[in-house]
Amino acid sequence: MRKNILKIILSFFGPLLFVALTSLLLEWTSSLLNVQNMALIYLIPVMVSSVIWGLFAGLFAGLISFLAFNFFFIQPYNTLLVHQSQDLITLAVFLAVAVLLSQLIGQTRKAALLAKEREWEATRMYELISSLAGTTSIPSISETLAEKLGSNFELEHVEVDINAPSFPKKVTGTHPPGEKPDRLPEITKPMKTQRDQEGEIRIWQATGNLSNTEERLLEAFAEQGALAVERIRLSQGETKIHVLEESDRLKTSILNSVSHELRSPLAAIKASISSLRSGAVPWEHAARQELLTTIEEETDQLNLLVGNLLDMSRIESGSLEPHLRWNSIPEIAKSAAARMKGQLSGHILDFQLPGDLPLVPSDYVLLEQVFINLLSNSAKYAPEKTRIVVCAGLEKESIHIRVKNQSPHVAEDELQNIFEKFHRVTRADKVIGTGLGLSICKGIIEAHGGRIWAENLEDGFQFIFTLPLLLNGNLPETPKEVIDG
Amino acid sequence: MDKDPLILLIDDEPQILRALKTILSANHFRVSSAVTGEEGIALAAAQLPDIIVLDLTLPDMDGVQVCSQIREWSAVPIIILSVRDSEKDKVAALDMGADDYLTKPFGIEELLARIRVAIRHSQATSGKKESVIHAGPIVLDLSKHIATRDGEELKLTATEFKLLAYLAAHSDRVLTHQAILTHVWGFEESDHLEYLRVYIGQLRKKVEENPEDPKLIITDPGIGYRFKSIDQ
Repeated sequence: MRKNILKIILSFFGPLLFVALTSLLLEWTSSLLNVQNMALIYLIPVMVSSVIWGLFAGLFAGLISFLAFNFFFIQPYNTLLVHQSQDLITLAVFLAVAVLLSQLIGQTRKAALLAKEREWEATRMYELISSLAGTTSIPSISETLAEKLGSNFELEHVEVDINAPSFPKKVTGTHPPGEKPDRLPEITKPMKTQRDQEGEIRIWQATGNLSNTEERLLEAFAEQGALAVERIRLSQGETKIHVLEESDRLKTSILNSVSHELRSPLAAIKASISSLRSGAVPWEHAARQELLTTIEEETDQLNLLVGNLLDMSRIESGSLEPHLRWNSIPEIAKSAAARMKGQLSGHILDFQLPGDLPLVPSDYVLLEQVFINLLSNSAKYAPEKTRIVVCAGLEKESIHIRVKNQSPHVAEDELQNIFEKFHRVTRADKVIGTGLGLSICKGIIEAHGGRIWAENLEDGFQFIFTLPLLLNGNLPETPKEVIDG
Repeated sequence: MDKDPLILLIDDEPQILRALKTILSANHFRVSSAVTGEEGIALAAAQLPDIIVLDLTLPDMDGVQVCSQIREWSAVPIIILSVRDSEKDKVAALDMGADDYLTKPFGIEELLARIRVAIRHSQATSGKKESVIHAGPIVLDLSKHIATRDGEELKLTATEFKLLAYLAAHSDRVLTHQAILTHVWGFEESDHLEYLRVYIGQLRKKVEENPEDPKLIITDPGIGYRFKSIDQ
């Protein structure tokens, strides 16, 4: 406000001073100049005032120059009277030129100022838009907006509230950080899109009014903020739809795969039981045992399948948290092999695990599942009577465990895919299984912080997985003997 | 014993109850059943069964809770039934005083063996403590501090002896990691599973015929260890 008054005073006294100086200069040099020269020189303060203080100062300078010129240098001197018609023309032309000049210069100056102002606005807008474009969450939008408002406007405090559909009802960004002043905000600006009001900008500023530029910029900021919020809402919706579609697709393929896998053991069980019950045939002891064995094996198969589905759904939902404790890999591998005895009976199992392997932070039950799935896969694909080797070695801060078998090669470009869900290299009817086993292994190993992959060998195929050896950066403690005995 | 032992089944699944009732009756047990935790606790108090078979997932309350409530006034053996993936609950129930557990689905032979072991143990503990433990091929003389396998003396360190004695004294029942750590090393609520892994490894080398394929000291994944004295 004070700045403006100063400006007005200056644009009044400035031209006055200039004209006075010009008059003084002309007074000294009047003997050398004629009236026309003087008129030209009087145009200088008009021009200068227009350039420095704008149109009105220019016009004012023109007017007082005209008066001073007439008063001091047109006969009769020291009066505003004019006797000669020639002088009258000079004066009239001078006034016309002065007015025209100051107007032209004033307008150019105004245009230049306006352009500069717009440029400033455009820069601020550009900065805002580019920072908003990088935001991916509602809170970061409110923070960014508050920060930009705070740095571009002269204000005490600003708050940007963005409405949220769920708890918390509102997300607030503030600038400068800290408590807001203890009074109502002077300026509030709703952030609206065509569909909805997304939030509100609240500004605390003692004067309570903004310049036109600031008003415009605030309007634009509010609009951009609202658009950014809308963009995020829409993209969140889209992501959700994407996820739903994907999980729907997954469920369909699980159902397809599983219903087949569930029916075959169920069919075998049902057939065996109904035969045993029917009483139509007197069953011999051996045949009876055979049917009962079928029932038991198929039940185990069903149980394994349900376990796999459960693991898969836990991996999918991200709720698989391995309970990491110090475990011995050979012990886990052997316990898995013991569980698989039936399925592995046709193969030669060879453990090449050194006795001095360190304990590995792992989840016993989950890791056992990995071995079961890898051994089961090997047994399915490798020809009978061939060797399945489990070996392990240390590399830096991890243990590498290999399960080698003599199954046929897998095309190099398929090697990655075999760990995908429902992926099977051979035709589905040739080999039993849901195609979930290896993807479960991948899920479990990755949850342990390890890696799993497969490679073709000269005479077969191998799975390799790694597990970190450190638990929270530590190796296992060396146990103490008890003292008392 | 003049009467068949009484088994209380607490499980809310009618199919399981029907099957178990039939099978257990055929194996000379008397059977009563409850479908909720509350009913189970009431029956346990009213009938004083010889053993309780308890499912961990019940409609009205947590099986672990049922276990701890019964334990407040009774030492009756409790066998837990549960599904895979609930190691935490199993361990909690075992640490709460349950005697053993079985994972559904289970073979009936296994259940019968567990029931027999639990009943035998509850009868044994009512007698006085013995200073010589016989468990399968292992004989431990606690007073003389001598362990033998098939009559041959085993050279054990103090810790190994203590560990083996604890396992053998509770043969054929699962002992949780924590129970063993507390008993042998005196760790309360510790996570020093590495101690156990190392010592069990050493012990197996000395005690087992083939340490690679243990037949006496069996791992119960995620739960603990079990010393096997009988072939199931």
